Amino acid sequence: MQDKVVGRRAFLARLGVLGAVVATGGLFADRAVAAVGLEPDGSALDQIVEDLQPVLAELARDTLNGLVVMVCPGPDEYSRAQGTPRPEDGALEARATDFMIASLDGFVPFPDQLGTALAGGLASGLEGTGITLPPAQAALPIGQVGTVDRALTTLLRNDATLPLSAVVAMLLNLVATQVDPAAVHGPFLSPFARLSYAGKCAVFERLEGPDPALVSVLDSKAPEPFTGTLSGMLRFLAGALLEFAAYGSYGEWGVFDPDQKTLSEQPVGWRLTGYQPDGVVQGWDEMIGYYQDRERVSA
Amino acid sequence: MRDVIVVGAGGGGAVVAKELAARGLDVLLLEAGPRHADITEEWTHYENDANNPLTGFLRFGPSDRSQPAWYRELPQNSFLWQLSGVGGTTQHYFGNCPRAYPGVFAGYDGADRDAYDTAHLFPFGYSELVPYYEWVEATLPVQTAAMGRKEEVFFRGCEQLGLPVQTAKTTTEDSYRPQENAILQPGGAAGRVSGYEGEPRLLYPEATGCTFCGYCFQGCSHPAKAPRNLIAKRSTDNSYVPMALTADRWAPGGRPVTLVTDAFVTRVHTEQRGGRTAASGVTWREGATGDHQREDAKVVVLAAGCTENPRLWFNSGLPDPNDWVGRGYTDHYFDWIIASFDSYTGSSKGTGSSARSDWPGRGGVMNVGLPPALKAFTMTFSDSGIRGQYGNGRGEAGPWDGPAGRLMGPELKDMMMGGIDQMFCMLVMTDDDVERQNRVTLSALPADEHGSVAKVEMHQRQRSRRTVANREFLVRKGVEIARAAGARTVHRMDWPPLILHVQSTMRMGESERNSVLDADGQARWVDGLYVADNSALANSAAGVNPTLTTQAVATRTAEKIFTSRFGGAAWVRSEAPVVSTDDRVAQGMDDLGL
Repeated sequence: MQDKVVGRRAFLARLGVLGAVVATGGLFADRAVAAVGLEPDGSALDQIVEDLQPVLAELARDTLNGLVVMVCPGPDEYSRAQGTPRPEDGALEARATDFMIASLDGFVPFPDQLGTALAGGLASGLEGTGITLPPAQAALPIGQVGTVDRALTTLLRNDATLPLSAVVAMLLNLVATQVDPAAVHGPFLSPFARLSYAGKCAVFERLEGPDPALVSVLDSKAPEPFTGTLSGMLRFLAGALLEFAAYGSYGEWGVFDPDQKTLSEQPVGWRLTGYQPDGVVQGWDEMIGYYQDRERVSA
Repeated sequence: MRDVIVVGAGGGGAVVAKELAARGLDVLLLEAGPRHADITEEWTHYENDANNPLTGFLRFGPSDRSQPAWYRELPQNSFLWQLSGVGGTTQHYFGNCPRAYPGVFAGYDGADRDAYDTAHLFPFGYSELVPYYEWVEATLPVQTAAMGRKEEVFFRGCEQLGLPVQTAKTTTEDSYRPQENAILQPGGAAGRVSGYEGEPRLLYPEATGCTFCGYCFQGCSHPAKAPRNLIAKRSTDNSYVPMALTADRWAPGGRPVTLVTDAFVTRVHTEQRGGRTAASGVTWREGATGDHQREDAKVVVLAAGCTENPRLWFNSGLPDPNDWVGRGYTDHYFDWIIASFDSYTGSSKGTGSSARSDWPGRGGVMNVGLPPALKAFTMTFSDSGIRGQYGNGRGEAGPWDGPAGRLMGPELKDMMMGGIDQMFCMLVMTDDDVERQNRVTLSALPADEHGSVAKVEMHQRQRSRRTVANREFLVRKGVEIARAAGARTVHRMDWPPLILHVQSTMRMGESERNSVLDADGQARWVDGLYVADNSALANSAAGVNPTLTTQAVATRTAEKIFTSRFGGAAWVRSEAPVVSTDDRVAQGMDDLGL
């Protein structure tokens, strides 16, 4: 029992969840049940589940900050942490993280059941091994670790409250700690965001591959009829995350007013590339003529 | 009971609807997505607003943009770029209209006859299709593209390679040329004046045809103020659909189609007739209300696309005795070459692509201009992993610079900051084999409101030897063109499946062992059920952009329907087509308030 809880503690740390709970504090504040380490009753668990959601949202944002600077680094702390700071505006100034969260949580036509299957694979598999937890996480009482675990599992089983961005973040963080176990320590909430640029690339190498060990565990834990579909989904997801991060970094989403259909300022991507320096055009003085003066061809 | 129900108002369905409406038949045209009747109000020139596959107005999803897009299962690193809405994928296409090379048709006897996918030829000869090509070329109309700066770069590279220039419609040798495209040639101030919102010289009629605005992929709405049928790009929402809606105005005895949008067809109905299974009608779901409607018809034509036609087929329980429904999905095994120049290339301006090279038996290479977000997407899309970090089992080296793979991080940013108009991009379109393994099935994932969803399997690394060799050949030719034109750096992306030039999942063919449709475009096992979009194509059309061939075949299929089902006379060889820019179409649309 003790070993199992220790394993779950490491697993939650690798997802980034335990670190986020500790760092954000308050999840167990005023919860008598947590203080004495007893099994929470239904209503107490409901409250903890509710409290966990903003923690997961912060974790997701932190993780996706670490993702989007992979494609468009800038003058921010995440770009510095990955070792590729740039003086010009980058993905964060373009609000690419918001773009990713809005896309993943609001519009990805991903069946809830599939997201839940992935989350279920995450939540039920992969006991943590071989990593050393930072003191704050290691010191969290076993009762509280168990409560976080139950709250997360409850959340993951309820597809209505399952934000895909959180699931994606947990996946990236889990693999990040496979790439570098030391990523459970350090600045930021997210182990993934703590990696170097090369380390983040190594995460995607495992996802794109995809890593057979990871896939076999996820697939084996997924319920029918999803068994066997997760490996293909990982390949798709790995690619889509990078491509969408690039699309969001260089597009106009961050400064677009959908009601007025206007821009509040020139998009970062336009400034970086010199695209349409004075805004949207009706046409360009770009026609040279016809090649070899031929305006039509024979049959 | 209708005479004909057409499922899908995209590049193929709109053609059948227009042709049969012109013959006076009672045609119901059903479209799952929106109409986009007022493009001035509904569209913008912003690429996320337009092209985001989740939220853009040119997505595959319901008319209500606050609702999620429709999903499909993609069990691999790939991207399926479907569109709903009147015009279908032609809403964002580049209007390119090359004819398929003669070698992909039955009976071809040229010296290069063995260079093609000879196991999956069209079930008729090239000369049989030529009159239909000519009919479509006149209707759209298809014209020789005007040249911008990025075309000049492409031609300079081809000139340096010593390639001959093609000056005919039919491709017979390795060559290059301006595109034959369905974009009205610039007139007046168009292409000669730069201007922002409100520039009066760029409004119709001071400007006519293409204004070189650079927004082909975001949907064409220029010249502003032009009647809908005089918008420069001849996507079917600007050409065939306006003709279908006004058929009584320009065709003697014509009868306007009934167009119903926001109408997702969920089932094809059949009955037993004379001992055969025969199509009898369809049921569709109204997106706004969730209500289901049913109508019967003498003939049903499927034109919902390469992914949705098989889905609808399976969800309707239609027969598939040789197990070829949904199989043979070809996508031109795309690849992409991105170059940077020290000089201006005009990459974000002008038409999407107005220059191409043709390589019979191999495929084609064409220049492409894109705005920044799509360019960044293009450069991060690869089967070779992240360049310089890992190869994902590939990452080949070649005449391009360094290994193939995703450009990311500082490298991507440096490339973008080199200036969008100093970049130069080329799309490699492979003449790829029809392969059984690439297919559409029904997903085990939960059904949506329209039934079980499609699962698209593309086995990227198991392509045939000929297909792989063709792509390698074309990539090298593209790199040669870029270097000969003066490129500073040249990157190869090694794209995974970007499922966009889609073909052949309901293929017509010579043999009933490996095809779904007969030579008339009719389902072999369901009487009165036809297919008339890209999915009907017998093969990848030699690696050329498929729309023109689809529209020619659809015109032929419409004629077959009219003569064999309604006792009418054929018209393509005996009449002259009305061009879609005809004043009567404009007047009819104006009278209808469209």
